[in-house]
Amino acid sequence: MNLIEALERSKNPVAGDAKPFRVFLACGFTPLHLQTFLLAHLRQIFPESRIEMKTGLYGDLAGTLDRRDPMASDVLVVPIEWADLDSRLGIRILGGWQVSDLPEILASVDRQLARLQRALKSSAQSAPVVISLPTLPLPPLFYTPPDVSGAEKTQLLSSLARFAASLSSEHGIRILDSQALDLLSPMSGRLDIKSEVLTGFPYKLPFASTLAQSLASLVQTRAPKKGLITDLDDTLWAGILGEVGVDGVSWTLDHHSHMHGLYQQFLRSLASAGVLVGVASKNDLALVQEAFHRKDLLLKKDSVFPFEVNWHRKSESVQRILKAWNIGPEAVIFVDDSAMEAAEVKTAFPDMECLVFKKDDYQAVWDLLVHLRASFGKNAISKEDSIRLDSLRNAKPLLDASVQDGAASDDFLQRADSFISFDFTKKSKDGRAFELVNKTNQFNLNGKRYTESEWRKFLADPATFLVTASYQDKYGPLGKIAVLLGKVEDQKIHLHSWVMSCRAFSRRIEHHSLKKLFEKFDADEIAFNFESTQRNGPLQEFFTELIGEAPQSDMHLSRTVFLKKVPPLFHRVEETEDGRN
Amino acid sequence: MAEIDDRLTRCFASVFPALSANELPNASVETVPDWDSLAAVTLVAVIEQEFDIQIDLMELPELTSYAAARNYLLKQTKP
Repeated sequence: MNLIEALERSKNPVAGDAKPFRVFLACGFTPLHLQTFLLAHLRQIFPESRIEMKTGLYGDLAGTLDRRDPMASDVLVVPIEWADLDSRLGIRILGGWQVSDLPEILASVDRQLARLQRALKSSAQSAPVVISLPTLPLPPLFYTPPDVSGAEKTQLLSSLARFAASLSSEHGIRILDSQALDLLSPMSGRLDIKSEVLTGFPYKLPFASTLAQSLASLVQTRAPKKGLITDLDDTLWAGILGEVGVDGVSWTLDHHSHMHGLYQQFLRSLASAGVLVGVASKNDLALVQEAFHRKDLLLKKDSVFPFEVNWHRKSESVQRILKAWNIGPEAVIFVDDSAMEAAEVKTAFPDMECLVFKKDDYQAVWDLLVHLRASFGKNAISKEDSIRLDSLRNAKPLLDASVQDGAASDDFLQRADSFISFDFTKKSKDGRAFELVNKTNQFNLNGKRYTESEWRKFLADPATFLVTASYQDKYGPLGKIAVLLGKVEDQKIHLHSWVMSCRAFSRRIEHHSLKKLFEKFDADEIAFNFESTQRNGPLQEFFTELIGEAPQSDMHLSRTVFLKKVPPLFHRVEETEDGRN
Repeated sequence: MAEIDDRLTRCFASVFPALSANELPNASVETVPDWDSLAAVTLVAVIEQEFDIQIDLMELPELTSYAAARNYLLKQTKP
């Protein structure tokens, strides 16, 4: 995007009733064209919002952060440059580059980093913070040649790395990866000396656009894909299992099939991060089972569920895998070495991303892994990520019971030894609750998504409640699987949002959630902020089954009616609030 | 020449979106209230990028109107 396009885009009119999205751009330099580019890229990402942008004072990044009204913005964007750490690391202040100045410059940088760290952590309490670390080349102030990383420069970089490490684990803070930026823009194309000296704006225009686009991308809360379905022959390993046998397939350097090994290692990494990995292969099941017993296979059998190994069309196998995972095709990526198979699956599931594993193209495999990481990457690993696969595998008896009886039988549920823990603590930092509300589609009251600042604001209101439900039974734990958000007024509950993970269907957790709300708030009625969406069919089915008619947009449910209609509930229940039972 | 006018008009329109197409050719520091130092820097950056030129620092104070910018560009493109 060039500057003229950015100006045009940022000045295009938005709908009068567009929701405002308030961005605070905190930088120590003149924001000038970075502000224009950031606005334009944000408008591209959030076309339905009216982006309102404020900036701070020139030359005082830390002060800007300290003085900012924490409730006045929905996101804070902070591009840090060297001059923000000590003005002598910039070129507009002539403060001295003598060898004797260097120790004091380093000490001053440490002090400033500590101040910024405090301010940024504090800011992240009220709104998400997006940061880029210094992107520009350091001026030639060190006595070493520019191609030598001397002691002082190394110490400076080390201080910055410690600062970044401390912030990166902080909830609500996202740091732009310097390597990702390096791939998009070489260091030599970033600093505009003339502009920096004359106007205080340090970036060349193409780099300002790249940086703004990268920062804008981090502002967006992205829902990662949930599952990957892989082929086996010439994809997970080199060779056709049915032709070369179990010992003939390979994935090592000495067999010139190392990229398949790298792919296996990568899939295991995805699985360990909670991504669902399934297999769809036209193959002999007995042979595949034998192959998965090979000790040198990097992707272990336990990391894969389910295996669909047969001679039918791939799309049929994919359909069964989606059913076992209970997720939609748009959340899944399919990988196969055959372009024809990928096209066949794509035809059956247009919303699914179908990729070809180009087994003889080393660079293409590398690019595939990077793309997959971008699609599945998440900011943190939750407890639920570590138990997702086991919970799906353990849910198979329940699914089988549902298939046989139409719904899980009372007898089956009674013997499941199930336990629900309802937590009424209003924790704005509960990343799992926030994630569930923003990614759940099927059992979702209205499809409403929250920005991080909307979430915090809602919970800051004393009249609101947040309930999370965690579940386990004799087949294993499901973790935190349901979230209810609302307000209580005069013994009436207004339920604003209600989501439940698809892994938790058929256990009557939804019934018990309503029962718990009636009891906890001693309420006579629940008013549901229901809206029909393209994807919330399972929630609509629940209501239809419970009250005998399709849900309406302003539906209410009285306690009396609920108690008449609710089926038997067999869960043991625990209630906690602020860590107390 | 018509091509220069089209591109320059687009530059001015992007920096001064409140001006109508008829007002743009007569735009100057005197007639456009939004023409402040920030707009001037942005206008120069937009023209530099659009025409792939570097504007001489000595010329900056002279570029105070659409007509002046047009004359500058015509001089630059003379063989």
